[in-house]
Amino acid sequence: MQKLGEFKLPHFFNYPPYFTLQPVRATREKQVQLWKDLILDYCRTQKIFVVGVDEEFPLFSNPAIERSLSHEAREAFLSALVSEGRAEWMDKGHKNCLILWYRIQDWADIVVQFARDNGLEDGVVTIEELRSGTESQGTELHGIDRTILNRALKLLEQKGKLVIFKGTSADDEGVKFSL
Amino acid sequence: MRRKPGIGGLQNAAAARNQFRLVGENVAKVKTDMMKGQLATFRSQLEEFAHKHKHDIRKNPAFRSQFHEMCAKVGVDPLASNKGFWAELLGIGDFYYELGVQIVDICLATRAHNGGLINLQELCHLLRQRRRSDRGAVSEDDCLRAISKLKVLGSGFEVISVGKKKLVRSVPTELNKDHNEILELAQAQGFVTVEEVERRLSWTPGRTIDALETLLKEGLAMIDDGHRDGKRRYWFPCVSPISSLVAADS
Repeated sequence: MQKLGEFKLPHFFNYPPYFTLQPVRATREKQVQLWKDLILDYCRTQKIFVVGVDEEFPLFSNPAIERSLSHEAREAFLSALVSEGRAEWMDKGHKNCLILWYRIQDWADIVVQFARDNGLEDGVVTIEELRSGTESQGTELHGIDRTILNRALKLLEQKGKLVIFKGTSADDEGVKFSL
Repeated sequence: MRRKPGIGGLQNAAAARNQFRLVGENVAKVKTDMMKGQLATFRSQLEEFAHKHKHDIRKNPAFRSQFHEMCAKVGVDPLASNKGFWAELLGIGDFYYELGVQIVDICLATRAHNGGLINLQELCHLLRQRRRSDRGAVSEDDCLRAISKLKVLGSGFEVISVGKKKLVRSVPTELNKDHNEILELAQAQGFVTVEEVERRLSWTPGRTIDALETLLKEGLAMIDDGHRDGKRRYWFPCVSPISSLVAADS
Protein backbone atom coordinates (compact mmCIF):
# COMPACT_ATOMS: atom_id res chain seq x y z
CA MET A 1 0.00 0.00 0.00
CA GLN A 2 1.22 3.45 -0.89
CA LYS A 3 1.93 5.86 1.93
CA LEU A 4 2.39 9.57 2.39
CA GLY A 5 4.64 9.76 5.38
CA GLU A 6 2.69 7.91 8.05
CA PHE A 7 -0.56 8.30 6.20
CA LYS A 8 -1.94 5.20 4.49
CA LEU A 9 -3.44 6.07 1.13
CA PRO A 10 -6.62 4.32 0.09
CA HIS A 11 -6.46 2.04 -2.91
CA PHE A 12 -8.63 4.15 -5.14
CA PHE A 13 -5.79 6.69 -5.10
CA ASN A 14 -3.92 4.33 -7.41
CA TYR A 15 -6.74 3.87 -9.89
CA PRO A 16 -6.29 6.43 -12.68
CA PRO A 17 -9.94 7.22 -13.52
CA TYR A 18 -10.50 8.58 -10.03
CA PHE A 19 -8.36 11.53 -11.11
CA THR A 20 -10.80 12.48 -13.87
CA LEU A 21 -14.20 13.89 -12.97
CA GLN A 22 -16.70 11.23 -13.96
CA PRO A 23 -19.53 12.30 -16.27
CA VAL A 24 -22.08 9.72 -15.11
CA ARG A 25 -23.91 10.87 -11.99
CA ALA A 26 -23.90 7.71 -9.89
CA THR A 27 -20.24 7.09 -10.59
CA ARG A 28 -19.39 10.72 -9.86
CA GLU A 29 -21.21 10.61 -6.52
CA LYS A 30 -19.16 7.64 -5.43
CA GLN A 31 -15.99 9.31 -6.64
CA VAL A 32 -16.75 12.55 -4.79
CA GLN A 33 -17.56 10.63 -1.61
CA LEU A 34 -14.23 8.81 -1.67
CA TRP A 35 -12.30 12.03 -2.23
CA LYS A 36 -14.18 13.90 0.49
CA ASP A 37 -13.36 11.20 3.01
CA LEU A 38 -9.74 11.12 1.91
CA ILE A 39 -9.26 14.91 2.15
CA LEU A 40 -10.86 15.12 5.61
CA ASP A 41 -8.92 12.12 6.83
CA TYR A 42 -5.62 13.40 5.56
CA CYS A 43 -6.10 16.93 6.89
CA ARG A 44 -7.11 15.62 10.32
CA THR A 45 -4.11 13.34 10.71
CA GLN A 46 -1.68 15.90 9.28
CA LYS A 47 -3.28 18.88 11.07
CA ILE A 48 -3.77 20.78 7.84
CA PHE A 49 -6.29 23.59 8.01
CA VAL A 50 -6.00 25.38 4.71
CA VAL A 51 -5.85 23.83 1.25
CA GLY A 52 -4.93 26.05 -1.70
CA VAL A 53 -6.70 24.92 -4.82
CA ASP A 54 -3.82 25.73 -7.13
CA GLU A 55 -1.04 24.99 -4.73
CA GLU A 56 1.00 21.88 -4.15
CA PHE A 57 -0.96 19.45 -2.08
CA PRO A 58 0.14 15.83 -1.75
CA LEU A 59 -3.32 14.45 -2.41
CA PHE A 60 -3.82 16.35 -5.64
CA SER A 61 -1.38 14.27 -7.62
CA ASN A 62 -0.09 10.75 -7.63
CA PRO A 63 3.31 10.47 -9.29
CA ALA A 64 3.17 6.68 -9.08
CA ILE A 65 0.45 6.55 -11.72
CA GLU A 66 1.26 9.92 -13.30
CA ARG A 67 -2.11 11.44 -12.63
CA SER A 68 -3.15 14.70 -11.03
CA LEU A 69 -6.45 16.38 -10.40
CA SER A 70 -7.52 19.17 -12.69
CA HIS A 71 -8.43 22.56 -11.23
CA GLU A 72 -12.04 21.71 -11.94
CA ALA A 73 -11.86 18.43 -10.06
CA ARG A 74 -10.14 19.98 -7.04
CA GLU A 75 -12.78 22.66 -6.84
CA ALA A 76 -15.56 20.08 -7.23
CA PHE A 77 -14.30 17.93 -4.34
CA LEU A 78 -13.69 20.88 -2.04
CA SER A 79 -17.07 22.40 -2.94
CA ALA A 80 -18.69 19.11 -1.99
CA LEU A 81 -17.07 19.45 1.43
CA VAL A 82 -18.24 23.06 1.67
CA SER A 83 -21.82 22.09 0.91
CA GLU A 84 -21.67 19.61 3.77
CA GLY A 85 -20.34 22.16 6.21
CA ARG A 86 -17.00 20.39 6.43
CA ALA A 87 -15.11 23.21 4.71
CA GLU A 88 -15.41 26.87 3.82
CA TRP A 89 -14.09 28.94 0.97
CA MET A 90 -11.90 31.71 2.33
CA ASP A 91 -12.34 33.97 -0.69
CA LYS A 92 -14.82 34.60 -3.46
CA GLY A 93 -12.40 33.31 -6.07
CA HIS A 94 -12.31 29.89 -4.40
CA LYS A 95 -8.55 29.89 -4.12
CA ASN A 96 -8.17 28.77 -0.54
CA CYS A 97 -10.32 26.43 1.39
CA LEU A 98 -10.58 26.09 5.16
CA ILE A 99 -10.98 22.44 6.05
CA LEU A 100 -13.19 21.76 9.05
CA TRP A 101 -12.41 18.20 10.06
CA TYR A 102 -13.97 19.31 13.30
CA ARG A 103 -16.97 21.56 12.85
CA ILE A 104 -16.84 24.98 14.51
CA GLN A 105 -19.17 23.70 17.23
CA ASP A 106 -16.79 20.82 17.95
CA TRP A 107 -13.85 23.22 18.17
CA ALA A 108 -15.84 25.36 20.61
CA ASP A 109 -16.42 22.29 22.78
CA ILE A 110 -12.72 21.56 22.70
CA VAL A 111 -11.92 25.12 23.85
CA VAL A 112 -14.39 24.78 26.75
CA GLN A 113 -12.87 21.44 27.73
CA PHE A 114 -9.41 22.99 27.60
CA ALA A 115 -10.52 25.82 29.90
CA ARG A 116 -12.03 23.36 32.39
CA ASP A 117 -8.94 21.13 32.34
CA ASN A 118 -6.75 24.11 33.15
CA GLY A 119 -8.94 25.72 35.81
CA LEU A 120 -9.71 28.69 33.60
CA GLU A 121 -13.47 28.75 34.31
CA ASP A 122 -13.18 32.43 35.25
CA GLY A 123 -9.69 32.93 33.95
CA VAL A 124 -8.12 35.10 31.33
CA VAL A 125 -5.95 33.84 28.54
CA THR A 126 -4.61 35.30 25.32
CA ILE A 127 -5.66 33.78 22.04
CA GLU A 128 -2.04 33.13 21.17
CA GLU A 129 -1.66 31.16 24.39
CA LEU A 130 -4.59 28.99 23.44
CA ARG A 131 -2.87 28.12 20.17
CA SER A 132 0.72 27.79 21.26
CA GLY A 133 1.03 28.10 25.02
CA THR A 134 2.58 25.38 27.16
CA GLU A 135 -0.83 24.27 28.42
CA SER A 136 -2.10 23.66 24.93
CA GLN A 137 0.83 21.44 23.98
CA GLY A 138 -0.31 17.96 23.19
CA THR A 139 -3.94 19.03 22.96
CA GLU A 140 -6.06 19.41 19.86
CA LEU A 141 -5.79 23.17 20.18
CA HIS A 142 -2.09 23.22 19.64
CA GLY A 143 -1.36 24.83 16.30
CA ILE A 144 -5.02 25.40 15.46
CA ASP A 145 -5.69 27.75 12.58
CA ARG A 146 -6.28 31.30 13.77
CA THR A 147 -9.40 31.78 11.68
CA ILE A 148 -11.01 28.63 12.97
CA LEU A 149 -10.11 29.46 16.57
CA ASN A 150 -11.60 32.95 16.20
CA ARG A 151 -14.79 31.47 14.79
CA ALA A 152 -15.06 29.03 17.68
CA LEU A 153 -14.43 31.81 20.22
CA LYS A 154 -17.05 34.04 18.58
CA LEU A 155 -19.53 31.20 18.82
CA LEU A 156 -18.77 30.84 22.54
CA GLU A 157 -19.06 34.59 22.98
CA GLN A 158 -22.52 34.51 21.46
CA LYS A 159 -23.44 31.84 23.97
CA GLY A 160 -22.10 33.97 26.83
CA LYS A 161 -19.37 31.50 27.74
CA LEU A 162 -16.61 34.05 27.32
CA VAL A 163 -15.79 37.61 26.36
CA ILE A 164 -13.21 38.48 23.73
CA PHE A 165 -11.25 41.64 24.43
CA LYS A 166 -8.90 43.50 22.15
CA GLY A 167 -5.37 44.38 23.11
CA THR A 168 -3.07 46.91 21.51
CA SER A 169 -2.04 44.40 18.82
CA ALA A 170 -3.36 41.14 17.45
CA ASP A 171 -0.97 39.28 19.77
CA ASP A 172 -2.62 40.66 22.87
CA GLU A 173 -6.14 39.68 21.99
CA GLY A 174 -7.50 37.62 24.79
CA VAL A 175 -10.56 36.01 26.26
CA LYS A 176 -12.13 35.92 29.66
CA PHE A 177 -14.01 32.72 30.32
CA SER A 178 -17.16 32.65 32.39
CA LEU A 179 -18.19 29.02 32.39
CA MET B 1 -59.95 -84.29 -39.51
CA ARG B 2 -59.46 -80.95 -38.00
CA ARG B 3 -60.32 -80.67 -34.36
CA LYS B 4 -62.66 -77.91 -33.53
CA PRO B 5 -61.57 -75.70 -30.70
CA GLY B 6 -63.01 -77.15 -27.55
CA ILE B 7 -63.48 -75.75 -24.13
CA GLY B 8 -60.46 -77.73 -22.89
CA GLY B 9 -58.14 -76.08 -25.40
CA LEU B 10 -59.30 -72.63 -24.39
CA GLN B 11 -58.81 -73.45 -20.76
CA ASN B 12 -55.34 -74.78 -21.49
CA ALA B 13 -54.37 -71.61 -23.30
CA ALA B 14 -55.73 -69.45 -20.48
CA ALA B 15 -53.86 -71.49 -17.87
CA ALA B 16 -50.60 -71.16 -19.82
CA ARG B 17 -51.08 -67.39 -20.09
CA ASN B 18 -51.71 -67.27 -16.39
CA GLN B 19 -48.56 -69.20 -15.69
CA PHE B 20 -46.51 -66.91 -17.86
CA ARG B 21 -47.96 -63.89 -16.14
CA LEU B 22 -47.18 -65.28 -12.72
CA VAL B 23 -43.61 -66.07 -13.66
CA GLY B 24 -43.27 -62.61 -15.21
CA GLU B 25 -44.60 -60.97 -12.09
CA ASN B 26 -42.23 -62.97 -9.99
CA VAL B 27 -39.26 -61.98 -12.05
CA ALA B 28 -40.29 -58.31 -11.93
CA LYS B 29 -40.75 -58.51 -8.16
CA VAL B 30 -37.37 -60.09 -7.69
CA LYS B 31 -35.83 -57.38 -9.83
CA THR B 32 -37.58 -54.55 -7.95
CA ASP B 33 -36.58 -56.04 -4.65
CA MET B 34 -33.05 -56.27 -5.84
CA MET B 35 -33.15 -52.66 -6.99
CA LYS B 36 -34.68 -51.57 -3.73
CA GLY B 37 -32.01 -53.43 -1.88
CA GLN B 38 -29.30 -51.85 -3.96
CA LEU B 39 -30.74 -48.40 -3.49
CA ALA B 40 -30.98 -48.91 0.25
CA THR B 41 -27.40 -50.10 0.34
CA PHE B 42 -26.35 -47.16 -1.80
CA ARG B 43 -28.19 -44.70 0.35
CA SER B 44 -26.77 -46.09 3.54
CA GLN B 45 -23.33 -46.14 1.98
CA LEU B 46 -23.69 -42.53 0.90
CA GLU B 47 -24.95 -41.62 4.33
CA GLU B 48 -22.12 -43.46 5.92
CA PHE B 49 -19.69 -41.75 3.58
CA ALA B 50 -21.17 -38.36 4.35
CA HIS B 51 -21.06 -39.12 8.06
CA LYS B 52 -17.50 -40.26 7.89
CA HIS B 53 -16.36 -37.28 5.84
CA LYS B 54 -18.68 -34.71 7.34
CA HIS B 55 -15.70 -32.81 8.61
CA ASP B 56 -13.91 -32.82 5.26
CA ILE B 57 -17.03 -31.80 3.40
CA ARG B 58 -17.43 -28.80 5.62
CA LYS B 59 -13.85 -27.70 5.81
CA ASN B 60 -12.25 -28.68 2.55
CA PRO B 61 -13.53 -26.86 -0.54
CA ALA B 62 -11.88 -29.26 -2.97
CA PHE B 63 -13.39 -32.24 -1.22
CA ARG B 64 -16.75 -30.50 -1.13
CA SER B 65 -16.65 -29.86 -4.83
CA GLN B 66 -15.87 -33.52 -5.52
CA PHE B 67 -18.63 -34.61 -3.23
CA HIS B 68 -21.04 -32.41 -5.17
CA GLU B 69 -19.83 -33.92 -8.41
CA MET B 70 -20.37 -37.41 -7.10
CA CYS B 71 -23.86 -36.53 -5.92
CA ALA B 72 -24.67 -35.02 -9.29
CA LYS B 73 -23.58 -38.20 -11.04
CA VAL B 74 -25.99 -40.34 -9.07
CA GLY B 75 -28.75 -37.76 -9.39
CA VAL B 76 -28.81 -36.45 -5.84
CA ASP B 77 -28.85 -32.72 -5.14
CA PRO B 78 -27.89 -32.03 -1.55
CA LEU B 79 -29.02 -28.43 -2.02
CA ALA B 80 -32.43 -29.20 -3.46
CA SER B 81 -34.09 -28.83 -0.13
CA ASN B 82 -33.08 -27.54 3.23
CA LYS B 83 -35.08 -30.32 4.82
CA GLY B 84 -34.25 -33.95 4.51
CA PHE B 85 -31.32 -35.87 5.70
CA TRP B 86 -28.63 -33.99 3.80
CA ALA B 87 -29.37 -30.77 5.52
CA GLU B 88 -29.67 -32.45 8.88
CA LEU B 89 -26.56 -34.42 8.29
CA LEU B 90 -24.29 -31.77 6.85
CA GLY B 91 -25.93 -28.43 7.36
CA ILE B 92 -24.77 -27.99 3.81
CA GLY B 93 -27.85 -26.10 2.72
CA ASP B 94 -27.34 -23.49 5.38
CA PHE B 95 -23.76 -23.10 4.31
CA TYR B 96 -24.77 -22.10 0.82
CA TYR B 97 -27.65 -19.91 1.92
CA GLU B 98 -25.27 -18.05 4.14
CA LEU B 99 -22.82 -17.66 1.27
CA GLY B 100 -25.67 -16.44 -0.91
CA VAL B 101 -26.61 -13.73 1.53
CA GLN B 102 -23.00 -12.62 1.83
CA ILE B 103 -22.60 -12.57 -1.94
CA VAL B 104 -25.67 -10.37 -2.34
CA ASP B 105 -24.25 -8.11 0.33
CA ILE B 106 -20.90 -7.74 -1.38
CA CYS B 107 -22.48 -7.17 -4.78
CA LEU B 108 -24.59 -4.37 -3.35
CA ALA B 109 -21.72 -2.80 -1.46
CA THR B 110 -19.47 -2.67 -4.52
CA ARG B 111 -22.18 -1.78 -7.01
CA ALA B 112 -21.51 1.96 -6.91
CA HIS B 113 -17.95 1.27 -7.84
CA ASN B 114 -18.25 -1.46 -10.42
CA GLY B 115 -21.73 -0.94 -11.76
CA GLY B 116 -22.94 -4.32 -10.59
CA LEU B 117 -20.45 -6.46 -12.41
CA ILE B 118 -17.75 -8.11 -10.38
CA ASN B 119 -14.97 -10.50 -11.15
CA LEU B 120 -15.62 -13.91 -9.60
CA GLN B 121 -12.10 -14.05 -8.19
CA GLU B 122 -12.56 -10.75 -6.41
CA LEU B 123 -15.94 -11.75 -5.14
CA CYS B 124 -14.33 -14.82 -3.59
CA HIS B 125 -11.53 -12.71 -2.20
CA LEU B 126 -14.00 -10.36 -0.54
CA LEU B 127 -16.06 -13.27 0.66
CA ARG B 128 -13.04 -14.81 2.31
CA GLN B 129 -12.13 -11.50 3.88
CA ARG B 130 -15.60 -11.17 5.30
CA ARG B 131 -15.62 -14.72 6.61
CA ARG B 132 -12.10 -14.60 7.93
CA SER B 133 -13.17 -15.36 11.45
CA ASP B 134 -15.42 -18.09 10.17
CA ARG B 135 -14.25 -21.64 9.93
CA GLY B 136 -13.64 -23.30 6.64
CA ALA B 137 -12.46 -22.04 3.31
CA VAL B 138 -14.62 -20.99 0.38
CA SER B 139 -13.78 -21.92 -3.19
CA GLU B 140 -14.94 -20.41 -6.45
CA ASP B 141 -16.95 -23.56 -6.95
CA ASP B 142 -18.82 -22.79 -3.73
CA CYS B 143 -19.49 -19.26 -4.94
CA LEU B 144 -20.91 -20.54 -8.20
CA ARG B 145 -23.16 -22.98 -6.39
CA ALA B 146 -24.43 -20.31 -4.04
CA ILE B 147 -25.08 -17.95 -6.97
CA SER B 148 -26.96 -20.65 -8.86
CA LYS B 149 -29.24 -20.93 -5.83
CA LEU B 150 -29.79 -17.16 -5.89
CA LYS B 151 -31.43 -17.46 -9.28
CA VAL B 152 -34.66 -18.64 -7.71
CA LEU B 153 -35.01 -15.16 -6.28
CA GLY B 154 -35.32 -13.86 -9.79
CA SER B 155 -33.08 -10.97 -8.90
CA GLY B 156 -30.97 -11.31 -11.99
CA PHE B 157 -27.90 -12.83 -10.42
CA GLU B 158 -25.95 -14.44 -13.15
CA VAL B 159 -22.48 -15.61 -13.99
CA ILE B 160 -21.21 -14.57 -17.38
CA SER B 161 -18.03 -15.65 -19.04
CA VAL B 162 -15.93 -12.97 -20.64
CA GLY B 163 -12.81 -14.35 -22.19
CA LYS B 164 -11.16 -16.52 -19.59
CA LYS B 165 -12.70 -14.72 -16.67
CA LYS B 166 -16.01 -15.24 -15.01
CA LEU B 167 -17.97 -12.17 -13.99
CA VAL B 168 -20.91 -12.08 -11.63
CA ARG B 169 -23.69 -9.79 -12.68
CA SER B 170 -26.05 -8.44 -10.04
CA VAL B 171 -27.92 -5.85 -12.12
CA PRO B 172 -30.39 -6.67 -14.84
CA THR B 173 -28.25 -4.95 -17.47
CA GLU B 174 -28.24 -6.87 -20.70
CA LEU B 175 -24.74 -7.01 -22.04
CA ASN B 176 -24.64 -7.65 -25.75
CA LYS B 177 -21.86 -9.24 -27.70
CA ASP B 178 -20.16 -5.91 -28.36
CA HIS B 179 -19.98 -5.11 -24.66
CA ASN B 180 -18.59 -8.52 -23.90
CA GLU B 181 -15.89 -8.11 -26.51
CA ILE B 182 -14.84 -4.79 -25.05
CA LEU B 183 -14.70 -6.26 -21.55
CA GLU B 184 -12.60 -9.09 -22.89
CA LEU B 185 -10.25 -6.64 -24.55
CA ALA B 186 -10.01 -4.61 -21.35
CA GLN B 187 -8.82 -7.60 -19.35
CA ALA B 188 -5.31 -7.17 -20.62
CA GLN B 189 -4.64 -3.75 -19.10
CA GLY B 190 -7.82 -2.88 -17.23
CA PHE B 191 -8.75 -0.23 -19.78
CA VAL B 192 -9.29 0.38 -23.50
CA THR B 193 -9.11 3.39 -25.78
CA VAL B 194 -11.44 4.11 -28.66
CA GLU B 195 -8.54 3.65 -31.05
CA GLU B 196 -7.61 0.30 -29.61
CA VAL B 197 -11.16 -1.02 -29.88
CA GLU B 198 -11.45 0.14 -33.48
CA ARG B 199 -8.16 -1.42 -34.40
CA ARG B 200 -8.39 -4.71 -32.52
CA LEU B 201 -12.03 -5.45 -33.22
CA SER B 202 -12.20 -3.72 -36.63
CA TRP B 203 -15.23 -1.70 -35.62
CA THR B 204 -16.43 1.61 -37.00
CA PRO B 205 -16.02 4.65 -34.72
CA GLY B 206 -19.79 4.85 -34.31
CA ARG B 207 -20.14 1.29 -33.11
CA THR B 208 -17.20 1.68 -30.73
CA ILE B 209 -18.42 4.90 -29.20
CA ASP B 210 -21.95 3.62 -28.88
CA ALA B 211 -20.83 0.53 -26.97
CA LEU B 212 -18.46 2.48 -24.73
CA GLU B 213 -21.08 5.11 -23.96
CA THR B 214 -23.53 2.41 -22.92
CA LEU B 215 -20.98 0.81 -20.62
CA LEU B 216 -20.24 4.23 -19.16
CA LYS B 217 -23.89 4.98 -18.56
CA GLU B 218 -24.42 1.64 -16.88
CA GLY B 219 -21.68 2.51 -14.44
CA LEU B 220 -19.47 -0.30 -15.68
CA ALA B 221 -16.79 2.01 -17.05
CA MET B 222 -14.92 5.09 -15.83
CA ILE B 223 -13.16 7.62 -18.01
CA ASP B 224 -9.58 8.70 -17.52
CA ASP B 225 -8.33 11.78 -19.34
CA GLY B 226 -5.15 12.11 -17.35
CA HIS B 227 -2.66 10.19 -19.44
CA ARG B 228 0.22 12.01 -21.10
CA ASP B 229 -0.82 10.96 -24.60
CA GLY B 230 -4.10 12.80 -24.10
CA LYS B 231 -6.14 9.81 -25.24
CA ARG B 232 -9.20 9.05 -23.21
CA ARG B 233 -9.02 5.70 -21.47
CA TYR B 234 -12.06 3.71 -20.45
CA TRP B 235 -11.36 1.73 -17.30
CA PHE B 236 -13.45 -1.20 -16.17
CA PRO B 237 -13.43 -1.74 -12.42
CA CYS B 238 -14.99 -5.17 -12.88
CA VAL B 239 -11.85 -6.47 -14.57
CA SER B 240 -9.35 -4.60 -12.40
CA PRO B 241 -8.46 -5.93 -8.98
CA ILE B 242 -8.90 -2.42 -7.57
CA SER B 243 -12.62 -2.85 -7.08
CA SER B 244 -12.20 -5.33 -4.28
CA LEU B 245 -9.72 -3.08 -2.61
CA VAL B 246 -11.96 -0.04 -2.73
CA ALA B 247 -14.79 -2.03 -1.27
CA ALA B 248 -12.57 -3.33 1.45
CA ASP B 249 -11.60 0.20 2.39
CA SER B 250 -15.06 1.59 2.76
